[in-house]
Amino acid sequence: MSAAIEARGVEKRYGAVVAVADLSFDAQAGEILGVLGPNGAGKTTAIRVLTTILAPTRGSFEVAGHPHTRPSEIRRRIGVLPESAGYPERQTAEEYLRYHARLYGQGRSGARAVASSLLAEVGLGDRSRSLISTYSRGMRQRLGIARALVNEPRVVFLDEPTLGLDPAGQRQILSTVRRIAGERGATVLLCTHLLAEVEETCSRVLILSRGRVAAQGTVSEVSRLAAAPRSGRLRVPPVYVESAVTALHEVPGVRTAPANGQPGLLRVTLAQTDGVAPEETMNAGVRAIVDARIPLLSYELEGARLSDAFLAMTEGS
Amino acid sequence: MEAVARGGRERSTPAWIVVTEQELRDLWLGGRGLVLSVAFSLLLSVIAYLVATNRALNFLEQRESVNLTLQVAIAVGALLALLSAADTVSGERERGTLESLLLTPVSRLEITLGKLVAALSLWLAAFVITVPYVWFLGRGVGLVGDALASGFVVGTLLAIFLASLGVLISVFAASNRVSLSLSLLVLLALFVPTQLPSSAQQGWAGDLLLRLNPMTAGEHYVGKIVTNGHPWSQDISWLLSPLVAAVVFSAAALVVGARFTGLRGGGSG
Repeated sequence: MSAAIEARGVEKRYGAVVAVADLSFDAQAGEILGVLGPNGAGKTTAIRVLTTILAPTRGSFEVAGHPHTRPSEIRRRIGVLPESAGYPERQTAEEYLRYHARLYGQGRSGARAVASSLLAEVGLGDRSRSLISTYSRGMRQRLGIARALVNEPRVVFLDEPTLGLDPAGQRQILSTVRRIAGERGATVLLCTHLLAEVEETCSRVLILSRGRVAAQGTVSEVSRLAAAPRSGRLRVPPVYVESAVTALHEVPGVRTAPANGQPGLLRVTLAQTDGVAPEETMNAGVRAIVDARIPLLSYELEGARLSDAFLAMTEGS
Repeated sequence: MEAVARGGRERSTPAWIVVTEQELRDLWLGGRGLVLSVAFSLLLSVIAYLVATNRALNFLEQRESVNLTLQVAIAVGALLALLSAADTVSGERERGTLESLLLTPVSRLEITLGKLVAALSLWLAAFVITVPYVWFLGRGVGLVGDALASGFVVGTLLAIFLASLGVLISVFAASNRVSLSLSLLVLLALFVPTQLPSSAQQGWAGDLLLRLNPMTAGEHYVGKIVTNGHPWSQDISWLLSPLVAAVVFSAAALVVGARFTGLRGGGSG
């Protein structure tokens, strides 16, 4: 089965400024791909290129099986919630969706049916005849998602869908996103700078930094790629703290310091060394403690976090 | 997924008509069209009152009063079309609704055409409002029919020209305010020749200037029919400039709209 999105060396320049460079990735049908990056990383530009709003300067891509040279075919099969989407304040939600359904070729009655079904799906059924000007930000985002679904898209692009929403609103949007992929089988490209959203919702992640792909893979793969040091905690009897620090000092890649105010607790920082995973470095530290005949009360390796990877890969952006 | 393709094949209404319908709904049910039309009829009422009272005092011949009213109606009606068109792309861009429209499979040509047609509805409304005034002022001398017909033809050509100009400006304008200001400035520039002293309007240079300017040429043509009672064919050369302007500018608006309608700048991400 071919990928729902295939990008190969996509580049977008504005004069001398490179907004997106050498963007290459695949997204499979039904998966939720998170696109992470700090402000200005090129996420929105990448989405605008992939949704055919902007033409790429270089490279090629296919969306829903159609090459970028056939933008109209791509647009027919995608749904998009743009960043900072505006809405016609004087229309009702139903009018708005009906209009968009008709732009996709639905007749009047078909458009009406699509509008009411989608509004019910995103939880706006009871407000379908209210003017959009009376909608909260969360309601507008849900309306935007409904609009993105009027054509039963194979690929859905969501650019910062939870921006400015309270936690309840965010949860509601994320649950809708999961439903789009799970029940409709659509591929979702979720663009955000909220790491928790990605960890919670996405099967794979793509990190953009300064317009380039800094990392991609599953959340755990990307987390492991982080060059950021990882940490752990060791607990020994307070009288052995000094000898434990001395023993750990001999282990390459381990830095140790007693935790302030917590007798017997040692904080361990595990620097990434060539070819040695942080887990192995921690094991070496534990062996050094045991070999020095120091009673080890407990030890804990803090899990690899996406935030570490994100910060390490986007540092200086 | 099938519904998408099926929907595409079953399209019963051309997309530009769908865009036009929605634009008309926004313009007329949203209130802006009605407000402008009410303001237009108030203006026309004042003009009609003034010319009617002047006529009663024998300061203005009946044909001239019809001509004056018609000239004002054409100029203001075309202005309304221009203002509406000047908002089409830059306004949507500023309100953040353009991207959603561009993301649909509807071509930019169809979007531009739909918006252009909707903008012309303001001129048509202005013309309909003008009919009773012209009838009232021109009754009894047998010029109402010719006045209305020539006013409609010239007004429509000028409205197409100005609305197309508004679309062109709107496509490139950095903001809606710039688009509206620039459109008004261009319109004022087009009216400048009418303010020149009559001596400057004589001679070949003055004649050429009046003929080349679609606004002055169109109004001159209507004036000759209404005031002087000339047949339509006698001064037909004066209609050339409005006709050419309407054709050239509407074609340019569609081509430019199809090619350059888009977003400005990047996003935050």
